[in-house]
Amino acid sequence: MNLKQFLALEADCDPEALVDLRALDCVSEYDFHLMCPICHCPFVQPMRLQCDHVFCQECLSSAITTSRLADSDEFPCPSCRNPTSDVSTSVPRLLINMCDDIQVRCPFTVQGCQEIVPRGHVQSHVDKYCGYRLVPCPDGSCNKTTRKKDLHPDERCMHGLRQCSHCEEDIMEQDYEEHDRELCPSLEATCVDCETVVLHRDLKKHTETCPEVVSPCAASKYGCSIKVRRAEIATHEQHCPLIAMSPYFKAQNTRLDSLELTIRHLQQRNEIFEDGLANIRSTLVESARVGVTDRTSGRAAIDSEQARTEDSPEEFADRSSSVSSNATTYLLSLHESLRDEVGQLSHAITDLDARASMAIMNESLRIKEDMAHTNAAVNSVRMQVQWLMNPRLHHGTRAGFRTNTASTAGNEGARSQLTSSSAPGTSNTAGPSLGPLRPRRPSDSGREGTKL
Amino acid sequence: MFASKRLSKMQEHVPPGIAIAKSENLEEWQMDIKVLDDNPLYQNQTYRLKFTFGSKYPIEPPEVQFIECAASSDTPRPIPIHPHIYSNGIICLDLLSSAGWSPVQTVESVCMSIQSMLTANSRNERPPGDSDFVSYNRRRIRDIPFVYEDDNV
Repeated sequence: MNLKQFLALEADCDPEALVDLRALDCVSEYDFHLMCPICHCPFVQPMRLQCDHVFCQECLSSAITTSRLADSDEFPCPSCRNPTSDVSTSVPRLLINMCDDIQVRCPFTVQGCQEIVPRGHVQSHVDKYCGYRLVPCPDGSCNKTTRKKDLHPDERCMHGLRQCSHCEEDIMEQDYEEHDRELCPSLEATCVDCETVVLHRDLKKHTETCPEVVSPCAASKYGCSIKVRRAEIATHEQHCPLIAMSPYFKAQNTRLDSLELTIRHLQQRNEIFEDGLANIRSTLVESARVGVTDRTSGRAAIDSEQARTEDSPEEFADRSSSVSSNATTYLLSLHESLRDEVGQLSHAITDLDARASMAIMNESLRIKEDMAHTNAAVNSVRMQVQWLMNPRLHHGTRAGFRTNTASTAGNEGARSQLTSSSAPGTSNTAGPSLGPLRPRRPSDSGREGTKL
Repeated sequence: MFASKRLSKMQEHVPPGIAIAKSENLEEWQMDIKVLDDNPLYQNQTYRLKFTFGSKYPIEPPEVQFIECAASSDTPRPIPIHPHIYSNGIICLDLLSSAGWSPVQTVESVCMSIQSMLTANSRNERPPGDSDFVSYNRRRIRDIPFVYEDDNV
C-alpha cells in the first residue's frame, strides 16, 4: 500500500480498549533484533519498507508525518535514508510469533495481579481473565472504580460504608469481607506460645508480656546464648555471670566509644600533618633536583651515595631519580641532626651563661668586701695623718720663718728618718705634699716615733 | 511513554569514552565524552554535552550542545575547538537538525557521531564569524538556519 493508505490505517483502532504493549514490563530477555529501532520495544504490529527495514506501525506513521516533505509520495527510511514510497504489512510470521512470545507481566501488577503471560495473550488476559482490572462502578451515580473481582454479582455499588459489628469502624463494603476475616481488631486470636485466646488488637500487648514466650537473656548482646521462657528468665538472670558483668561491659563499651572518637579526631589531625609533610617533601625534592643538576661536574659530593653516582655521567643520569630521593632523605636527616645539635648547643650556652654569671657575682662580692676594707683602712690612715699634722701646723705657724735658714742637709736627714719609721703608703701620700712647703725640724722625729 | 523507557534503557550500557554525567529527569541529560584516539587537539580532555529532549523525542531531534564547566571546578569541561563548534557550545551538525535527524538515532549514536567529528578534525580553529554569532544569537538551536556546506569534517 502507498503512504496515504498507510497513514489512514491507524485511525481505525480504539486506543482506550487496547493494552499499551510498549509499556509492558518484560520478564524475559529478548533478542535486540526484535526491537523497533525507534521505540526500542519489541515490534508492535510490524511494518516493512521497500528496503526491508521493519518498524512498528505507530512509530513508522509518526516518523513519516514529521519527516515527509509536504504531500510527497516518498519519505526516507529512518534507518538507511533510502527513499520509500511503499509500506508492506506482510512481515514474516516468524517475527510476529517471536515478538508475541515474549513473557510480560500483567499491566495491573500495581493492583495485585501476579500473572505473567506471553505478550500475545496480554490483551485477552486483561479483557477476560484478569480480576484486578479497574472497572467503573456499575452504579451510574458512583464515580469510583473497583477491581473486577470485587464486583458484586448483582451489579450493586460496593462503595457504601458499612459499620463493622465488632469494632464499630466504618468499612467500605468491598473491603468488608477481608476486614471481617483478617483485619478487624476485635477478632479473637490465639497466642502461639501460651494458647490463651485474646483479642486481635491486644495480641501485640500480650506477646510483649506473655510468660510463655521464649525470650533471650538480657545479656544476650554480651554473648549469653540462653533462651528460656519469660517466666524463667528472672531465675536465670540471677545466676547468669554475664548479667553480673554487664555494668562492667557497659562501662567498657562507653570507653571504647570515646576512644574511637578520639582516634578518629587524631586520624584527621594526622592526615592534615601528613599533607603538610608531603608538601614540605615535594618542595625539598624540587630544590634537591635543582641542586643535583647544578652539580653535574661531579664535585662537591654531599655523601658517599652521591659521590658514587656522580662518578660516571651515564649512570648518574639513570639513577638521578634515586639520587634525588636519596638526597631528599639525606637532607632531611641532615636537617634533623643539625636541629639536635643546635638544641644541644643552646643548652650548653645557657649553662655556661649561668655559671659565668655566678662566678662573676662571687668574685665581685669578694672584691667589694676588699674595697670596703681598704676604704676603711685608708680613712683611718687619713685621720691619723691629720692628727699628726695638726700639731705640726700649729708649731709651724708659731715658730715662724726663723728656721728658714736651717741647713738643707739636716732637713733631709730628718725626712729620711721619718720615711724609714712610718708606713710607706703614709709617707708617700703625706711626704711630697708637705715637704716642699714646710721644712721640718730635726726634733720632730722623736715625737713621730712615739706616736706610731 | 515509550521514549522515557527507551532513555532509561540506555543507562545500562554506554559505549567507551562516553559517560552519563547527569540523568535525573528525562528532559535534560548531560553526557561526558572523550576523544579516544591520540588526536593532539583533544587529548586528555573531557567535554560535556547537554541533551534537551522534547515531548516528541525520538520522532523529533533533541537539542544538543556543549556546555562549559569552569576550569577551577572539580570537573573542568572546556568547549572543544572545532571549525563546526561555536565557542558558546552550539554544534553545527546536520544530524541534529530536523532535516538530518532520524528517529533511529539514540543518545549513544549522537555522542559517537560527535566523537568521530572531533576525531577527524585537524584544524585548531572556530567557525568563521564565531564572535558575531556568539554575541548576537538569541535563537533556539533548532531555529538557527545552518548551512551545511562542508562535507569533509
